Amino acid sequence: MFEKSLYDLIRGLRNHKGNEKEYIQNCLKECRLEIRGQDMDVKATALLKLIYLEMVGHDMSWASFHVLEVMSSPKYHQKRVGYLGAVQTFRPDTEVLMLATNLLKKDLAATTPTIISLPIAALPHIITPSLALSTLADLLPRLGHSHPAIRKKTIVTLYRLALVYPETLRAAWPKIKERLMDKGEDPSVTAAIVNVICELGWRRPNDFLPLAPRLFELLVDGGNNWMAIKLIKLFATLTPLEPRLVRKLLPPLTDLIRTTPAMSLLYECINGIIQGGILGDGEDFAASEEIASLCVSKLRGMIMMNSDANLKYVALLAFNRIVVTHPFLVAQQEDVIMECIDSEDITIRIKALDLVQGMVNSDNLPSIVSRLMRQLRASSSSLAHQKSLQMADPETDSSDEAGPEASRRGKAQDHAPPLPEDYTIDVIGRVLNMCSQNNYANLVDFDWYIDVLTQLVRIAPVSRRKDFDSDSSNSSTHVTTDIAEKIGNDLRNVAVKVKVIRLAAVRAAELIISQLNSESSSSSHPVVSGALKPVAWIAGEYAFQLTSPNDTLGQLLHLIPRIEHPEILTTCLQAVIKLFAHIAGDGQAPWISERKSAISLLMFRIIHVLEPLALHPYLEVQERGVEFIELLKLTAEAATGQAPSTDDVHQDPPLLLTQAIPSLFNGWELNSVARAAQLNVPTPAGLDLDEPIHPNLNVLLAQADSLMLPASDDDEFETYYHQKPLATSITNEPAINRLAEVVEDVSGSYQQAGEESYLDADIIARRKAERLERNRDDPFYIHTPGRSGGASTPIHNILEKENGPGLDIDAIPIMKLDLESLSAGNLGNGMATEKQPPKPKTRQRIVVAADETLSGSGLSTPRNYESENNSDSFTRSKAKKLKASLLQVDSSHLRDLSLDSSRPDDDFAHERQQRDEAEMAQAMKEVQRLRLEMQRANERIQVAQGVPADGIVVKKKKTKKPKLDEGEVSAVKVKKKKKTATATATEGGEGSAAAEPEAVAAVKTKKKKAKRLLQLDDPGAVESQ
Amino acid sequence: MINAFLVFNGQGQPRLTKFYTQLDTSIQQRLISEIFTLVSNRPPGSCNFLPLPPLLAASGTSHSASEPHNDVPSLVTYRNYATLYFIIISTSTESPLALIDLIQVYVEALDRLFENVCELDLIFNFETLHTTLGEMIIGGVVIETNLDRIVSGVRAQGTVAKRPVNESRSTGLGAGLGMGGNFVWHGR
Repeated sequence: MFEKSLYDLIRGLRNHKGNEKEYIQNCLKECRLEIRGQDMDVKATALLKLIYLEMVGHDMSWASFHVLEVMSSPKYHQKRVGYLGAVQTFRPDTEVLMLATNLLKKDLAATTPTIISLPIAALPHIITPSLALSTLADLLPRLGHSHPAIRKKTIVTLYRLALVYPETLRAAWPKIKERLMDKGEDPSVTAAIVNVICELGWRRPNDFLPLAPRLFELLVDGGNNWMAIKLIKLFATLTPLEPRLVRKLLPPLTDLIRTTPAMSLLYECINGIIQGGILGDGEDFAASEEIASLCVSKLRGMIMMNSDANLKYVALLAFNRIVVTHPFLVAQQEDVIMECIDSEDITIRIKALDLVQGMVNSDNLPSIVSRLMRQLRASSSSLAHQKSLQMADPETDSSDEAGPEASRRGKAQDHAPPLPEDYTIDVIGRVLNMCSQNNYANLVDFDWYIDVLTQLVRIAPVSRRKDFDSDSSNSSTHVTTDIAEKIGNDLRNVAVKVKVIRLAAVRAAELIISQLNSESSSSSHPVVSGALKPVAWIAGEYAFQLTSPNDTLGQLLHLIPRIEHPEILTTCLQAVIKLFAHIAGDGQAPWISERKSAISLLMFRIIHVLEPLALHPYLEVQERGVEFIELLKLTAEAATGQAPSTDDVHQDPPLLLTQAIPSLFNGWELNSVARAAQLNVPTPAGLDLDEPIHPNLNVLLAQADSLMLPASDDDEFETYYHQKPLATSITNEPAINRLAEVVEDVSGSYQQAGEESYLDADIIARRKAERLERNRDDPFYIHTPGRSGGASTPIHNILEKENGPGLDIDAIPIMKLDLESLSAGNLGNGMATEKQPPKPKTRQRIVVAADETLSGSGLSTPRNYESENNSDSFTRSKAKKLKASLLQVDSSHLRDLSLDSSRPDDDFAHERQQRDEAEMAQAMKEVQRLRLEMQRANERIQVAQGVPADGIVVKKKKTKKPKLDEGEVSAVKVKKKKKTATATATEGGEGSAAAEPEAVAAVKTKKKKAKRLLQLDDPGAVESQ
Repeated sequence: MINAFLVFNGQGQPRLTKFYTQLDTSIQQRLISEIFTLVSNRPPGSCNFLPLPPLLAASGTSHSASEPHNDVPSLVTYRNYATLYFIIISTSTESPLALIDLIQVYVEALDRLFENVCELDLIFNFETLHTTLGEMIIGGVVIETNLDRIVSGVRAQGTVAKRPVNESRSTGLGAGLGMGGNFVWHGR
């Protein structure tokens, strides 16, 4: 039988295009056979083939033992394959790793350098704390190996050991330091040490301050750019701790910036200056200003340089760091940064967006947002364009205008390709954040913002909610991901918080509802826009500000049967009743027959819509539905019972209608409440939260479980629970959008910055009408001719009328110039000499209500401007709790270790270690005691079994086996007990440590250590069996 | 530090995968395919850095600007040579421009070892790819950037196989990886 070589395998793969899967399965079968054979050569070749297939995605964890076999081969080229297999395929749960320890130790002590470097290179990939502990002693001497290649690899491997087993550094650090200080050391070893120190540096910068002179020396006369970059990065973490370093570093850094031909080094110098906090350091103002301007101008040059996108990217990265500390420096570069937002390259775009979010202020907010809006609009219209093209074909005969129009537009417009959906969502989220941050501090023109929000609702991509059929408890906890809902929430926040603008917000809500209604009325597909929920709430809560509550109510009623998501439905139900209460609850209007019939009709209409919801599978909807139906039925009865007033007999409308229902909703005005406010509510004195609500809760629950529910044959339940919701199609844009674009081509083309380019025509028209209305009496507003005669009045006429003919010049008041405040403003602007800062707009006096909170206790979060719906920070904090990132190497253990023995916190560490040891000793004692007890119990059992004393000798051979078995069992038991014992030990430790707030981290490591020891113990236990 | 070093071709077939943390094979493949979709959709003239693939972004670094965390992989650097893509996933503590250089060094080293390297060499000698990478990066930390030392380090570990003779170069994979074309800075 001839085995395939790796070469044959790869050739075979290339020759079997089309049915590779089958071929690979055959190969895997062969490999399975070959790797089990005795011939080492065949084994190694099979392993190599498997590693190749693993790269393509075929799991080979089953072969881990064979990997070990090949690793232990005496031949170098086979050993190498084995080690490669270990590196590529060993995972944290690979069990044979336990068996590899001795092999690794042996190979580390080999004489040939090529063999030594195999385990050194493999260790970082397979390291565990116990493996680190056992190989450390063999690895340390390799630091002094005659081959520099071995030395540098060992240094890095020791670093990786330290990440899982921090104690490594205690032993290894003095030796590494010695190597670093040695000027005769091979430069590549020094470079490797610098790399490692740089990795360690940002975790424990304090420990590396004493090395600064030597590192500085290396920076000045080292010819290695890679090392220089690392050194600069390291110094950037050191300078905040030792300000004197700054003065020392500035000359060589400035020198490097001016002379180096390597762009990467130049960039890192600038970056180092930024990160090290050297910019704008108060001590030496002139020098720091010089370096700041040098850096910023270089960075600006990087962005401007049109040829190289990489430089653009890194410059944006650097600006992103500067913006945290020196926002004004970045704000001066607004022009170039804004260009990056429109870049074709999505990486650059995202970075620019990050940056823009940091530098936004009330002056540039509108321009930034409008730029983003233009992007979004262009993308959404091209998306709609694509859609309409797709839809045009089947629909040509049904709708006679969509087809030809769409194809006409297809020729006319040449839009950029639509943006990816997650990017669109990201941008919308950022727009909302920018506008709403710090409780809308940057927002001047709320009318404009409401228009933007209205437009965003139309642009927002439709979310694909997948969790319809999750039960109520689940869906209430899940964080809203629907961007449309976020937009709606922001509109609601504005409506609640900014009273001046509430009217406009309500109008916008009205518009959105009618739009949602009109765009989905033609087709029967369900309403999915999450914006409906908050928008319906606005309409209900501020019903008295609606232009036509009747119309809105009608539209909502029209929408309700097509709403799929139960949470939207509950809000809409509530809104419907609120609207009804507003319409019908007027106590002053006479109760005449028209009113009576209108209201009765309305009630029957509502009842008709709500009736199906009484059977809704979502409980909240069902409850509200039933409540409102009953209430309305009652009211309808009362209304029919009350005869209408005629000309002579006055009749009051039924009290249920005018008093009872409105009073359900007319309470206090709702204000936004800070998220932590609930925490500040003091617990009542008599309340014991630990007390069970019902003494026999379990019994009750058990009863409820056993209760048989009658099987329902209602198929709505069936469909709800067992059928997936239909795939929802993206809602069409209304026809008016298409019209608007045609107009845009004619009028908006010369004025890029105009709102026309990102707001739909109807929004703008509404806006204009409103503005006209508002400014009718404003003398500074020039009206369009024909609207009023005031515009044509010559100015001097007014002046003459006002001042009279004799003008007294002295009477003109002289304004005092406040120079002090002016210069202060200039100082703040830094070096904004060539560019005059734009005049701040007179800010509209708009009161934005802050979130309400209970004062008096410190529990409330400092960020109480975030109202409950800014779920962003919430999700972030949630994300933090999620498991660590993929690929991430956790280095948090390192932070607890100190290298400098003279440090006071080292005493603490030492103490902790002692405590640890004491604890472990105690645990071990406990284990010993348990083991002894078990043994005694065993003996007792034997005695109890009535083995005759004289029979022992005879039956010795027979009893031996069960005895052994029992021994095994007890060993297992002991192991278990051991685990629990240590667990309790650590728990105890936790309890005692809880007293010291600082000791939390300590407890963590302690726990880990305990676990580690356990792991160490386990193999021993296995062997002893 | 460097979290992963990947090489795949224009069809997304991996040629070298090296993860410096242990990761399930299936997740590795998912990550590779996610990066491949990102990398293959780049418009011409865009920069050598990718936005984070969903798999990495999902772990909570989308707002990286607000809370930089140095342990989390947050930088994906790539370079395209002829039919091949070279990818480095790293944390924010690495220098982006230097990583581009590092890829260049790697490719130059391969070029020296194979004499005018092409994708075929990499396909048939993936063990050498690993050895070469092992001379440059250990456990995610760069240990060598000098071309001569890297090449001699690889040669010390055994002869580098030449490409199979009967496998002609005219298999449509293009001759050579066409290095140095758009190389702007010379770091190292």
